[in-house]
Amino acid sequence: MSQAPRPPLQVTLDVWHAMFMREALARTMAGRFAWFWMIAEPVAFVVIMIGVREVLGRVRFVIGADFVPWLIVGLLGFFLFREGLLRSIGAVDANKGLFAYRQVKPVDPVIARNVVEGILKTVVFMVLIAGASLLGYEILPADPLAAMFIWFSIWVLGLGAGLVASVVAPLVPEIGRVLRMLILPLFLLSGVIIPLHALPHSIQHYLLYNPVVHALEALRLSFFSGYKSLAGVDMLYLWWWALAMVALGLALHLRFTMRVKAK
Amino acid sequence: MIEVRNVYKRYRTHRADDWVLRDINFAIPRGVNVGLVGRNGAGKSTLLRLIAGMDFADKGEIVRRCRVSWPIGLTGGFQGSMTGRQNVKCVARIHGNDRFMKAVIHRVEAFADIGKAFDQPVKTYSSGMRSRLAFGLSLAFDFDLYLSDEATAVGDKAFRAKATAAFRDKVGKAGLVIVSHSEGILKELCQAGLFLRDGHAYWFDSIDDAIAAYHESIKRS
Repeated sequence: MSQAPRPPLQVTLDVWHAMFMREALARTMAGRFAWFWMIAEPVAFVVIMIGVREVLGRVRFVIGADFVPWLIVGLLGFFLFREGLLRSIGAVDANKGLFAYRQVKPVDPVIARNVVEGILKTVVFMVLIAGASLLGYEILPADPLAAMFIWFSIWVLGLGAGLVASVVAPLVPEIGRVLRMLILPLFLLSGVIIPLHALPHSIQHYLLYNPVVHALEALRLSFFSGYKSLAGVDMLYLWWWALAMVALGLALHLRFTMRVKAK
Repeated sequence: MIEVRNVYKRYRTHRADDWVLRDINFAIPRGVNVGLVGRNGAGKSTLLRLIAGMDFADKGEIVRRCRVSWPIGLTGGFQGSMTGRQNVKCVARIHGNDRFMKAVIHRVEAFADIGKAFDQPVKTYSSGMRSRLAFGLSLAFDFDLYLSDEATAVGDKAFRAKATAAFRDKVGKAGLVIVSHSEGILKELCQAGLFLRDGHAYWFDSIDDAIAAYHESIKRS
Protein backbone atom coordinates (compact mmCIF):
# COMPACT_ATOMS: atom_id res chain seq x y z
CA MET A 1 0.00 0.00 0.00
CA SER A 2 1.36 3.35 -0.98
CA GLN A 3 2.41 6.07 1.39
CA ALA A 4 4.99 8.76 1.84
CA PRO A 5 8.31 7.80 3.47
CA ARG A 6 7.84 7.60 7.22
CA PRO A 7 9.81 9.73 9.67
CA PRO A 8 12.59 7.73 11.39
CA LEU A 9 10.83 7.64 14.76
CA GLN A 10 7.72 6.19 13.14
CA VAL A 11 9.81 3.50 11.45
CA THR A 12 11.34 2.58 14.81
CA LEU A 13 7.96 2.40 16.51
CA ASP A 14 6.53 0.27 13.70
CA VAL A 15 9.47 -2.12 13.92
CA TRP A 16 9.16 -2.36 17.70
CA HIS A 17 5.48 -3.11 17.39
CA ALA A 18 6.17 -5.85 14.84
CA MET A 19 9.00 -7.35 16.86
CA PHE A 20 7.02 -7.26 20.08
CA MET A 21 4.09 -9.12 18.53
CA ARG A 22 6.43 -11.62 16.93
CA GLU A 23 8.40 -12.30 20.10
CA ALA A 24 5.27 -12.54 22.24
CA LEU A 25 3.73 -15.03 19.82
CA ALA A 26 6.89 -17.08 19.44
CA ARG A 27 7.50 -17.16 23.19
CA THR A 28 4.02 -18.11 24.34
CA MET A 29 2.90 -20.32 21.46
CA ALA A 30 6.14 -22.27 21.04
CA GLY A 31 5.63 -25.90 21.99
CA ARG A 32 2.56 -27.41 23.59
CA PHE A 33 3.30 -26.46 27.17
CA ALA A 34 5.15 -23.16 26.81
CA TRP A 35 2.77 -21.47 29.22
CA PHE A 36 2.89 -24.34 31.67
CA TRP A 37 6.69 -24.38 31.83
CA MET A 38 6.92 -20.67 32.45
CA ILE A 39 5.22 -21.23 35.82
CA ALA A 40 6.44 -24.78 36.38
CA GLU A 41 10.16 -24.09 36.01
CA PRO A 42 10.55 -21.72 38.97
CA VAL A 43 8.11 -23.79 41.06
CA ALA A 44 10.06 -26.96 40.34
CA PHE A 45 13.27 -25.16 41.22
CA VAL A 46 11.89 -23.96 44.56
CA VAL A 47 10.64 -27.46 45.37
CA ILE A 48 14.01 -29.02 44.51
CA MET A 49 15.90 -26.49 46.63
CA ILE A 50 13.62 -27.09 49.61
CA GLY A 51 14.13 -30.83 49.10
CA VAL A 52 17.90 -30.41 49.01
CA ARG A 53 17.78 -28.39 52.18
CA GLU A 54 15.67 -30.99 53.97
CA VAL A 55 17.92 -33.86 52.86
CA LEU A 56 21.10 -32.07 53.85
CA GLY A 57 19.46 -31.25 57.14
CA ARG A 58 21.77 -28.32 57.45
CA VAL A 59 19.37 -25.55 58.09
CA ARG A 60 20.89 -22.17 57.60
CA PHE A 61 18.61 -19.60 59.08
CA VAL A 62 17.78 -16.51 57.19
CA ILE A 63 17.36 -13.76 59.71
CA GLY A 64 14.05 -11.96 59.44
CA ALA A 65 12.45 -14.02 56.66
CA ASP A 66 11.12 -17.54 56.05
CA PHE A 67 13.31 -19.63 53.82
CA VAL A 68 10.72 -20.39 51.14
CA PRO A 69 9.54 -16.81 50.48
CA TRP A 70 13.16 -15.66 50.73
CA LEU A 71 14.13 -18.23 48.08
CA ILE A 72 11.23 -17.42 45.77
CA VAL A 73 11.98 -13.69 45.79
CA GLY A 74 15.69 -14.21 45.18
CA LEU A 75 15.15 -16.84 42.53
CA LEU A 76 12.66 -14.85 40.49
CA GLY A 77 14.84 -11.75 40.76
CA PHE A 78 17.78 -13.73 39.45
CA PHE A 79 15.70 -15.30 36.68
CA LEU A 80 14.62 -11.84 35.56
CA PHE A 81 18.25 -10.82 35.21
CA ARG A 82 19.32 -14.12 33.65
CA GLU A 83 16.63 -14.10 30.98
CA GLY A 84 17.53 -10.52 30.09
CA LEU A 85 21.11 -11.58 29.51
CA LEU A 86 20.71 -15.01 27.89
CA ARG A 87 17.63 -14.40 25.76
CA SER A 88 19.23 -11.30 24.28
CA ILE A 89 22.12 -13.40 23.01
CA GLY A 90 19.63 -15.62 21.19
CA ALA A 91 17.51 -12.69 19.99
CA VAL A 92 19.93 -11.55 17.29
CA ASP A 93 20.46 -15.05 15.98
CA ALA A 94 16.77 -16.00 15.96
CA ASN A 95 15.81 -12.92 13.95
CA LYS A 96 18.68 -12.97 11.48
CA GLY A 97 16.25 -13.47 8.62
CA LEU A 98 14.46 -10.23 9.43
CA PHE A 99 17.60 -8.14 9.02
CA ALA A 100 16.96 -8.47 5.30
CA TYR A 101 14.40 -5.75 5.87
CA ARG A 102 16.71 -2.81 6.29
CA GLN A 103 14.37 -1.14 8.81
CA VAL A 104 15.13 -3.84 11.38
CA LYS A 105 18.32 -3.29 13.37
CA PRO A 106 19.83 -5.93 15.64
CA VAL A 107 18.93 -3.81 18.66
CA ASP A 108 15.20 -4.06 17.93
CA PRO A 109 14.65 -7.78 18.63
CA VAL A 110 16.80 -7.43 21.76
CA ILE A 111 14.63 -4.65 23.15
CA ALA A 112 11.41 -6.40 22.12
CA ARG A 113 12.49 -9.64 23.70
CA ASN A 114 13.44 -7.94 26.94
CA VAL A 115 10.06 -6.24 27.14
CA VAL A 116 8.23 -9.52 26.48
CA GLU A 117 10.42 -11.34 28.99
CA GLY A 118 9.95 -8.63 31.62
CA ILE A 119 6.16 -8.82 31.29
CA LEU A 120 6.14 -12.63 31.43
CA LYS A 121 8.44 -12.81 34.45
CA THR A 122 6.34 -10.19 36.24
CA VAL A 123 3.21 -12.29 35.67
CA VAL A 124 5.00 -15.45 36.80
CA PHE A 125 6.27 -13.68 39.92
CA MET A 126 2.78 -12.46 40.81
CA VAL A 127 1.33 -15.93 40.30
CA LEU A 128 4.00 -17.40 42.57
CA ILE A 129 3.43 -14.72 45.22
CA ALA A 130 -0.30 -15.41 45.11
CA GLY A 131 0.26 -19.17 45.28
CA ALA A 132 2.74 -18.99 48.14
CA SER A 133 0.62 -16.62 50.20
CA LEU A 134 -2.41 -18.91 49.70
CA LEU A 135 -0.25 -21.71 51.11
CA GLY A 136 0.28 -19.57 54.18
CA TYR A 137 3.75 -18.15 53.58
CA GLU A 138 4.43 -14.55 54.46
CA ILE A 139 5.52 -13.35 51.06
CA LEU A 140 3.45 -10.23 50.42
CA PRO A 141 5.91 -7.31 50.04
CA ALA A 142 6.29 -5.11 53.09
CA ASP A 143 7.01 -2.12 50.86
CA PRO A 144 5.26 -2.76 47.53
CA LEU A 145 6.36 0.46 45.85
CA ALA A 146 10.00 -0.16 46.63
CA ALA A 147 9.62 -3.77 45.50
CA MET A 148 8.19 -2.67 42.15
CA PHE A 149 10.96 -0.12 41.66
CA ILE A 150 13.69 -2.63 42.49
CA TRP A 151 12.06 -5.24 40.22
CA PHE A 152 12.21 -2.64 37.45
CA SER A 153 15.86 -1.90 38.30
CA ILE A 154 16.72 -5.57 37.91
CA TRP A 155 15.00 -5.56 34.54
CA VAL A 156 17.10 -2.58 33.43
CA LEU A 157 20.24 -4.35 34.66
CA GLY A 158 19.31 -7.43 32.61
CA LEU A 159 18.51 -5.25 29.60
CA GLY A 160 21.92 -3.56 29.85
CA ALA A 161 23.75 -6.87 30.14
CA GLY A 162 21.68 -8.23 27.26
CA LEU A 163 22.40 -5.21 25.03
CA VAL A 164 26.13 -5.61 25.54
CA ALA A 165 26.06 -9.39 25.14
CA SER A 166 23.89 -9.29 22.01
CA VAL A 167 26.55 -7.32 20.11
CA VAL A 168 29.59 -9.06 21.52
CA ALA A 169 28.33 -12.65 21.23
CA PRO A 170 27.66 -12.67 17.45
CA LEU A 171 31.00 -11.00 16.73
CA VAL A 172 33.04 -13.20 19.07
CA PRO A 173 31.13 -16.50 19.44
CA GLU A 174 33.37 -17.67 22.28
CA ILE A 175 32.09 -14.90 24.52
CA GLY A 176 28.52 -16.17 24.21
CA ARG A 177 29.66 -19.56 25.43
CA VAL A 178 31.66 -18.14 28.31
CA LEU A 179 28.70 -16.01 29.37
CA ARG A 180 26.43 -19.06 29.45
CA MET A 181 29.01 -20.85 31.57
CA LEU A 182 29.39 -17.89 33.93
CA ILE A 183 25.68 -17.90 34.76
CA LEU A 184 26.03 -20.80 37.23
CA PRO A 185 28.87 -19.28 39.29
CA LEU A 186 27.00 -15.99 39.20
CA PHE A 187 23.92 -17.80 40.47
CA LEU A 188 25.85 -19.14 43.45
CA LEU A 189 27.73 -15.90 44.14
CA SER A 190 24.59 -13.79 44.02
CA GLY A 191 23.18 -15.36 47.15
CA VAL A 192 20.11 -16.86 45.53
CA ILE A 193 20.23 -20.07 47.58
CA ILE A 194 23.00 -19.39 50.10
CA PRO A 195 22.40 -16.58 52.61
CA LEU A 196 25.41 -14.34 52.14
CA HIS A 197 25.33 -12.74 55.57
CA ALA A 198 26.52 -16.07 57.02
CA LEU A 199 29.82 -15.65 55.18
CA PRO A 200 32.85 -13.92 56.69
CA HIS A 201 33.02 -10.21 56.22
CA SER A 202 36.24 -10.44 54.22
CA ILE A 203 34.42 -12.48 51.56
CA GLN A 204 31.28 -10.35 51.65
CA HIS A 205 33.48 -7.42 50.80
CA TYR A 206 34.36 -8.98 47.44
CA LEU A 207 30.89 -10.34 46.73
CA LEU A 208 29.53 -6.82 46.90
CA TYR A 209 31.27 -5.96 43.65
CA ASN A 210 28.58 -8.04 41.94
CA PRO A 211 25.61 -5.77 41.13
CA VAL A 212 23.21 -8.75 41.17
CA VAL A 213 23.89 -9.17 44.91
CA HIS A 214 22.77 -5.60 45.50
CA ALA A 215 19.69 -6.19 43.36
CA LEU A 216 18.53 -9.36 45.06
CA GLU A 217 19.26 -8.19 48.60
CA ALA A 218 17.49 -4.88 47.99
CA LEU A 219 14.50 -6.79 46.61
CA ARG A 220 14.41 -8.99 49.70
CA LEU A 221 14.72 -5.98 52.01
CA SER A 222 11.66 -4.47 50.35
CA PHE A 223 9.72 -7.73 50.80
CA PHE A 224 10.60 -8.65 54.40
CA SER A 225 10.50 -5.79 56.91
CA GLY A 226 12.67 -7.52 59.53
CA TYR A 227 15.19 -8.95 57.06
CA LYS A 228 18.84 -8.61 57.95
CA SER A 229 20.91 -8.26 54.82
CA LEU A 230 24.57 -7.60 54.07
CA ALA A 231 26.01 -4.30 55.14
CA GLY A 232 26.68 -2.14 52.12
CA VAL A 233 23.72 -3.00 49.85
CA ASP A 234 23.35 0.07 47.70
CA MET A 235 20.76 0.81 45.02
CA LEU A 236 22.94 3.54 43.58
CA TYR A 237 25.68 1.02 42.84
CA LEU A 238 23.12 -1.15 41.07
CA TRP A 239 21.94 1.77 38.95
CA TRP A 240 25.47 2.79 38.01
CA TRP A 241 25.96 -0.69 36.61
CA ALA A 242 22.57 -0.77 34.92
CA LEU A 243 22.91 2.62 33.24
CA ALA A 244 26.55 2.10 32.32
CA MET A 245 25.72 -1.22 30.64
CA VAL A 246 22.70 0.17 28.81
CA ALA A 247 24.83 3.05 27.53
CA LEU A 248 27.70 0.76 26.57
CA GLY A 249 25.30 -1.70 24.91
CA LEU A 250 23.59 0.99 22.84
CA ALA A 251 26.96 2.44 21.85
CA LEU A 252 28.17 -0.99 20.74
CA HIS A 253 24.98 -1.52 18.77
CA LEU A 254 25.44 1.85 17.08
CA ARG A 255 29.02 1.05 16.19
CA PHE A 256 28.64 -2.57 15.07
CA THR A 257 25.08 -2.73 13.69
CA MET A 258 26.13 -3.50 10.14
CA ARG A 259 28.71 -6.06 11.18
CA VAL A 260 26.20 -7.92 13.34
CA LYS A 261 23.63 -7.73 10.54
CA ALA A 262 25.98 -9.09 7.91
CA LYS A 263 27.15 -11.97 10.12
CA MET B 1 16.41 8.04 -7.16
CA ILE B 2 19.37 5.91 -6.11
CA GLU B 3 22.91 7.15 -6.02
CA VAL B 4 25.88 4.87 -5.58
CA ARG B 5 29.06 6.77 -4.82
CA ASN B 6 32.59 5.32 -4.70
CA VAL B 7 31.38 2.05 -3.26
CA TYR B 8 33.91 -0.62 -2.32
CA LYS B 9 33.00 -3.99 -0.91
CA ARG B 10 34.98 -7.03 0.15
CA TYR B 11 34.32 -10.09 2.24
CA ARG B 12 37.01 -10.77 4.78
CA THR B 13 38.29 -14.28 5.03
CA HIS B 14 41.40 -15.77 6.53
CA ARG B 15 43.12 -15.69 3.19
CA ALA B 16 43.31 -13.01 0.57
CA ASP B 17 40.57 -10.43 0.71
CA ASP B 18 40.11 -9.10 -2.80
CA TRP B 19 37.63 -6.40 -3.52
CA VAL B 20 34.37 -7.81 -4.85
CA LEU B 21 33.30 -4.33 -5.89
CA ARG B 22 35.73 -1.54 -6.66
CA ASP B 23 34.89 2.13 -6.94
CA ILE B 24 31.31 1.69 -8.15
CA ASN B 25 29.65 4.93 -9.24
CA PHE B 26 26.27 5.33 -10.84
CA ALA B 27 22.91 6.93 -10.38
CA ILE B 28 19.56 5.45 -11.30
CA PRO B 29 17.12 8.14 -12.40
CA ARG B 30 13.41 7.86 -11.65
CA GLY B 31 11.50 5.67 -14.07
CA VAL B 32 14.51 3.85 -15.51
CA ASN B 33 14.66 0.09 -15.14
CA VAL B 34 18.14 -1.35 -14.88
CA GLY B 35 19.36 -4.84 -15.65
CA LEU B 36 22.53 -6.14 -14.00
CA VAL B 37 24.59 -8.49 -16.16
CA GLY B 38 27.88 -10.24 -15.64
CA ARG B 39 29.23 -13.72 -15.07
CA ASN B 40 28.71 -15.67 -11.85
CA GLY B 41 30.67 -14.13 -9.04
CA ALA B 42 31.00 -10.74 -10.71
CA GLY B 43 29.27 -9.08 -7.76
CA LYS B 44 25.74 -8.63 -9.08
CA SER B 45 24.03 -10.05 -6.03
CA THR B 46 26.40 -8.22 -3.71
CA LEU B 47 25.59 -4.93 -5.38
CA LEU B 48 21.87 -5.68 -5.10
CA ARG B 49 22.24 -6.49 -1.41
CA LEU B 50 24.05 -3.20 -0.87
CA ILE B 51 21.28 -1.27 -2.62
CA ALA B 52 18.72 -3.10 -0.50
CA GLY B 53 20.59 -2.16 2.67
CA MET B 54 21.07 -5.77 3.72
CA ASP B 55 24.82 -5.39 3.75
CA PHE B 56 27.14 -2.45 4.16
CA ALA B 57 29.73 -0.96 1.85
CA ASP B 58 33.28 -0.90 3.18
CA LYS B 59 33.83 2.47 1.57
CA GLY B 60 31.58 4.95 -0.15
CA GLU B 61 27.88 5.48 0.28
CA ILE B 62 24.53 4.63 -1.20
CA VAL B 63 21.83 7.28 -1.12
CA ARG B 64 18.20 6.21 -1.37
CA ARG B 65 15.68 8.93 -2.07
CA CYS B 66 12.64 6.67 -2.34
CA ARG B 67 11.07 3.58 -0.89
CA VAL B 68 13.25 0.64 -1.90
CA SER B 69 12.01 -2.93 -1.58
CA TRP B 70 13.97 -5.86 -0.21
CA PRO B 71 15.07 -8.28 -2.95
CA ILE B 72 11.85 -9.77 -4.28
CA GLY B 73 11.21 -13.37 -3.43
CA LEU B 74 13.44 -13.34 -0.37
CA THR B 75 12.39 -16.28 1.80
CA GLY B 76 14.95 -15.91 4.58
CA GLY B 77 12.78 -13.60 6.67
CA PHE B 78 10.16 -16.20 7.49
CA GLN B 79 9.87 -17.68 10.95
CA GLY B 80 9.26 -21.39 10.44
CA SER B 81 7.06 -21.98 13.45
CA MET B 82 4.68 -19.17 12.56
CA THR B 83 1.99 -19.42 9.90
CA GLY B 84 2.18 -17.70 6.54
CA ARG B 85 -0.44 -15.24 7.72
CA GLN B 86 1.48 -14.37 10.89
CA ASN B 87 4.67 -13.86 8.90
CA VAL B 88 2.89 -11.58 6.47
CA LYS B 89 1.48 -9.57 9.37
CA CYS B 90 4.93 -9.18 10.87
CA VAL B 91 6.44 -7.83 7.66
CA ALA B 92 3.45 -5.55 7.12
CA ARG B 93 3.91 -4.13 10.61
CA ILE B 94 7.61 -3.51 10.01
CA HIS B 95 6.69 -1.50 6.96
CA GLY B 96 4.05 0.44 8.86
CA ASN B 97 1.01 -0.92 7.12
CA ASP B 98 -1.14 -1.47 10.17
CA ARG B 99 -4.03 0.45 8.71
CA PHE B 100 -3.92 -1.51 5.47
CA MET B 101 -3.26 -4.84 7.14
CA LYS B 102 -6.37 -6.51 5.74
CA ALA B 103 -5.67 -5.33 2.21
CA VAL B 104 -2.04 -6.47 2.38
CA ILE B 105 -3.01 -9.91 3.65
CA HIS B 106 -5.67 -10.20 1.01
CA ARG B 107 -3.25 -9.30 -1.77
CA VAL B 108 -0.62 -11.77 -0.59
CA GLU B 109 -3.16 -14.54 -0.13
CA ALA B 110 -4.55 -13.97 -3.60
CA PHE B 111 -1.16 -13.87 -5.28
CA ALA B 112 0.45 -16.75 -3.43
CA ASP B 113 -2.60 -18.92 -4.06
CA ILE B 114 -1.50 -21.66 -1.67
CA GLY B 115 -4.94 -22.29 -0.21
CA LYS B 116 -5.23 -23.56 3.34
CA ALA B 117 -1.44 -23.70 3.70
CA PHE B 118 -1.58 -19.94 4.29
CA ASP B 119 -2.63 -20.73 7.87
CA GLN B 120 -0.08 -23.52 8.36
CA PRO B 121 3.40 -23.03 9.81
CA VAL B 122 5.88 -21.94 7.16
CA LYS B 123 8.21 -24.83 8.02
CA THR B 124 5.67 -27.21 6.46
CA TYR B 125 5.92 -25.40 3.09
CA SER B 126 7.71 -26.69 0.05
CA SER B 127 10.30 -24.36 -1.46
CA GLY B 128 7.87 -23.52 -4.26
CA MET B 129 5.19 -22.51 -1.76
CA ARG B 130 7.69 -20.40 0.13
CA SER B 131 8.63 -18.62 -3.09
CA ARG B 132 4.98 -17.97 -3.88
CA LEU B 133 4.42 -16.47 -0.45
CA ALA B 134 7.60 -14.42 -0.61
CA PHE B 135 6.84 -13.11 -4.08
CA GLY B 136 3.29 -12.20 -3.14
CA LEU B 137 4.59 -10.43 -0.06
CA SER B 138 7.03 -8.30 -2.05
CA LEU B 139 4.34 -7.21 -4.47
CA ALA B 140 1.75 -6.40 -1.80
CA PHE B 141 3.55 -3.18 -0.95
CA ASP B 142 3.88 -0.28 -3.34
CA PHE B 143 7.56 0.55 -3.45
CA ASP B 144 9.15 3.14 -5.71
CA LEU B 145 11.95 0.77 -6.61
CA TYR B 146 11.87 -3.02 -6.69
CA LEU B 147 14.95 -5.19 -6.54
CA SER B 148 14.95 -8.66 -8.00
CA ASP B 149 17.61 -11.33 -7.93
CA GLU B 150 16.44 -14.02 -10.35
CA ALA B 151 13.03 -13.80 -8.72
CA THR B 152 11.21 -15.03 -11.79
CA ALA B 153 13.36 -18.15 -12.08
CA VAL B 154 11.65 -20.09 -9.26
CA GLY B 155 8.44 -22.05 -8.99
CA ASP B 156 6.42 -24.01 -11.52
CA LYS B 157 5.51 -22.88 -15.03
CA ALA B 158 2.21 -21.28 -14.04
CA PHE B 159 3.87 -19.34 -11.26
CA ARG B 160 6.72 -18.16 -13.47
CA ALA B 161 4.20 -16.80 -15.95
CA LYS B 162 2.31 -15.11 -13.15
CA ALA B 163 5.48 -13.61 -11.70
CA THR B 164 6.64 -12.27 -15.06
CA ALA B 165 3.18 -10.80 -15.66
CA ALA B 166 3.31 -9.13 -12.23
CA PHE B 167 6.65 -7.61 -13.13
CA ARG B 168 5.33 -6.33 -16.42
CA ASP B 169 2.50 -4.77 -14.48
CA LYS B 170 4.94 -2.87 -12.27
CA VAL B 171 6.86 -1.42 -15.21
CA GLY B 172 5.97 2.22 -15.55
CA LYS B 173 4.54 2.43 -12.04
CA ALA B 174 7.81 1.77 -10.25
CA GLY B 175 11.49 1.31 -11.00
CA LEU B 176 13.15 -2.07 -11.23
CA VAL B 177 16.68 -3.28 -10.71
CA ILE B 178 16.96 -6.83 -12.00
CA VAL B 179 19.64 -9.45 -11.82
CA SER B 180 18.86 -12.11 -14.39
CA HIS B 181 20.52 -14.47 -16.81
CA SER B 182 17.40 -14.52 -18.95
CA GLU B 183 18.09 -11.99 -21.69
CA GLY B 184 14.51 -12.08 -22.83
CA ILE B 185 13.29 -10.75 -19.52
CA LEU B 186 16.06 -8.14 -19.34
CA LYS B 187 15.34 -6.83 -22.83
CA GLU B 188 11.64 -6.73 -22.21
CA LEU B 189 11.65 -4.98 -18.83
CA CYS B 190 14.78 -2.85 -18.74
CA GLN B 191 15.98 0.25 -20.53
CA ALA B 192 19.46 0.69 -19.08
CA GLY B 193 22.05 -1.91 -18.22
CA LEU B 194 24.92 -2.26 -15.79
CA PHE B 195 27.69 -4.64 -16.75
CA LEU B 196 29.91 -5.93 -13.93
CA ARG B 197 33.36 -7.32 -14.51
CA ASP B 198 36.37 -7.72 -12.19
CA GLY B 199 34.70 -5.62 -9.54
CA HIS B 200 34.07 -2.69 -11.85
CA ALA B 201 30.69 -1.58 -13.11
CA TYR B 202 30.04 -0.15 -16.57
CA TRP B 203 26.85 1.78 -17.18
CA PHE B 204 25.05 1.51 -20.55
CA ASP B 205 22.07 3.66 -21.40
CA SER B 206 20.72 0.79 -23.45
CA ILE B 207 20.32 -2.72 -22.10
CA ASP B 208 21.18 -4.12 -25.53
CA ASP B 209 24.64 -2.53 -25.35
CA ALA B 210 25.20 -3.94 -21.86
CA ILE B 211 24.29 -7.44 -23.01
CA ALA B 212 26.51 -7.01 -26.07
CA ALA B 213 29.44 -5.98 -23.86
CA TYR B 214 28.80 -9.01 -21.68
CA HIS B 215 28.84 -11.31 -24.72
CA GLU B 216 32.00 -9.64 -25.97
CA SER B 217 33.74 -10.34 -22.64
CA ILE B 218 32.72 -14.00 -22.76
CA LYS B 219 34.10 -14.36 -26.27
CA ARG B 220 37.42 -12.78 -25.39
CA SER B 221 38.12 -14.90 -22.31
